Amino acid sequence: MQSYFRIFGIYLAVTAWTLIGSVLISSPTLALADDSTIVPFSLNKQYNKFTREDLREIFFGRRTQWPDGSPLRVYVLPDQNSVHIRFTKEILGIYPYQLRSAWDRMIYSGTGVPPVVVDSIEQMKMNIQQVPGAIGYIEK
Amino acid sequence: MLLCCRKSACSIFIAVSLGFSEYASALDLGFEDWQLHGFVSQGYILSSNYNFFGHSQSGGSFDFTEIGTNIRGHITPELLVAAQGLYRSTGGSDQENFRLDFANLDYHSDIDKQTTIGVRLGRVKNPFGLYNETRDVVWTRPGVFVPQSVYFDALALRQPMISSDGGLFYGRYSVGDHALTAEMVISEPLDSAGGATEFLTGIPKVKGTMGGRPMFLGRAGYEWQEGRFKVLFSVVDLDRDFKSATPNVKSGNVKAFYPLASVQLNLEKWSFTSEYGRVTTKRSGFTPGGQVFENTSESFYVQAQYRFMSDLSGLLRYDNFVANVNDRDGKNLAALTGLPKHSFYTRDLAVGVRWEFAQDWLLTSEYHSIWGTALLSGIDNPNLSQKTEPEHWDMFGVMMSFRF
Repeated sequence: MQSYFRIFGIYLAVTAWTLIGSVLISSPTLALADDSTIVPFSLNKQYNKFTREDLREIFFGRRTQWPDGSPLRVYVLPDQNSVHIRFTKEILGIYPYQLRSAWDRMIYSGTGVPPVVVDSIEQMKMNIQQVPGAIGYIEK
Repeated sequence: MLLCCRKSACSIFIAVSLGFSEYASALDLGFEDWQLHGFVSQGYILSSNYNFFGHSQSGGSFDFTEIGTNIRGHITPELLVAAQGLYRSTGGSDQENFRLDFANLDYHSDIDKQTTIGVRLGRVKNPFGLYNETRDVVWTRPGVFVPQSVYFDALALRQPMISSDGGLFYGRYSVGDHALTAEMVISEPLDSAGGATEFLTGIPKVKGTMGGRPMFLGRAGYEWQEGRFKVLFSVVDLDRDFKSATPNVKSGNVKAFYPLASVQLNLEKWSFTSEYGRVTTKRSGFTPGGQVFENTSESFYVQAQYRFMSDLSGLLRYDNFVANVNDRDGKNLAALTGLPKHSFYTRDLAVGVRWEFAQDWLLTSEYHSIWGTALLSGIDNPNLSQKTEPEHWDMFGVMMSFRF
């Protein structure tokens, strides 16, 4: 009889720890998802500190070169993409439609080259790894 | 031969489009940062009593087409090349069809982290007000039409307003959230095309050429947080000699001075916009008795846009034009010319929606309730001078566009 209680007790303990464990293990990832940050991403080791002003110059398409004079290639996700929306609001401190409006003005008045729109964050990472001078953003 | 060229151009165009279709919105040409973009926009207009862009009464008009392709890329990071070809047809007010919209070389230099200066040469878009440079692309307009009191789409004044051949100098100085911008153009205006000569002289069907001093145009502005709030002040100064080729019409001179103030507030859901300007013209030589005729008109609009969702927005606008600031109800000019009073002003109340129903597809629609006929094309409206025609009329417009 006592052994039955012991087995039941072990079973309860295992279940409880599994539950607690799963919560504990998964909680950091959950917390990460909530606290994830969008950060500018490039492979340029020499220049990797960007102020908000720098990033606005780059993503609005006004700055066209790295400090050493090599060309910048800017990549962004589509206007409706949640990572793009977060990048414009949280990092650039503006609304996404402000960027779109500035890029459209460039396209249709011949005054600049707007960033290249890629479909997914995987494609963005791939472009950044392959294209010299590329910059974009990723979710961390 | 021409057909053959058109055909092959078309097939190249289609091949390029299909070849790069996986890139959807930006046609990355795979060479440095070179890109090819374009758009096809088709409108439909239905109006009462008067015509706007073709025969838009009873049954409506599809004579409202805008098609453009542009190419751009950097030769060096400081040196940009860009060009756009535009096909546009809007009834009697634009019969130019295909045109070179811009083709310019742009060199800029960063003096320091805050200051950029640059120069643009070639056929450049005229920086004027909030919408002028991209007014023929529905994606950058607030709706189907730009505000007519300020941008005059149905009058031949639009031709010299759009782009010009010459040079543009620009500068930008920014500190944190604040930026000051300035542009200055010296150029040969396109005032011999599209009925601009007739419009500037004010003589219907006149033949002759415009020449003389180049056009001066400037725009300066301040913007906060990349345009969340912006003010602009633009001015165009035209001083042209008219050389008549019409018997009984003497040669003369036309001066036009158009200052325009623009202000825009962009909030998350709302955008509020207003522009106010006055055009002063001085005509002499070809005028009766050769004396100087001076006139000042007044243009302004107030506009609110509300974004229900990122791809769906609404528009409300009041647009006001008076042909002569000293005769706002047109009474004196009507007595002087025998034309109806309402041909000397336009008051236009518009509501609209704009919906990007799929990526790179746009549908926009507007309803206008309009008093007065001052901003209408005489070619589209032979009845403008008839006093029996009404003061009030309605217009409905819709436009669909695809871009790549």
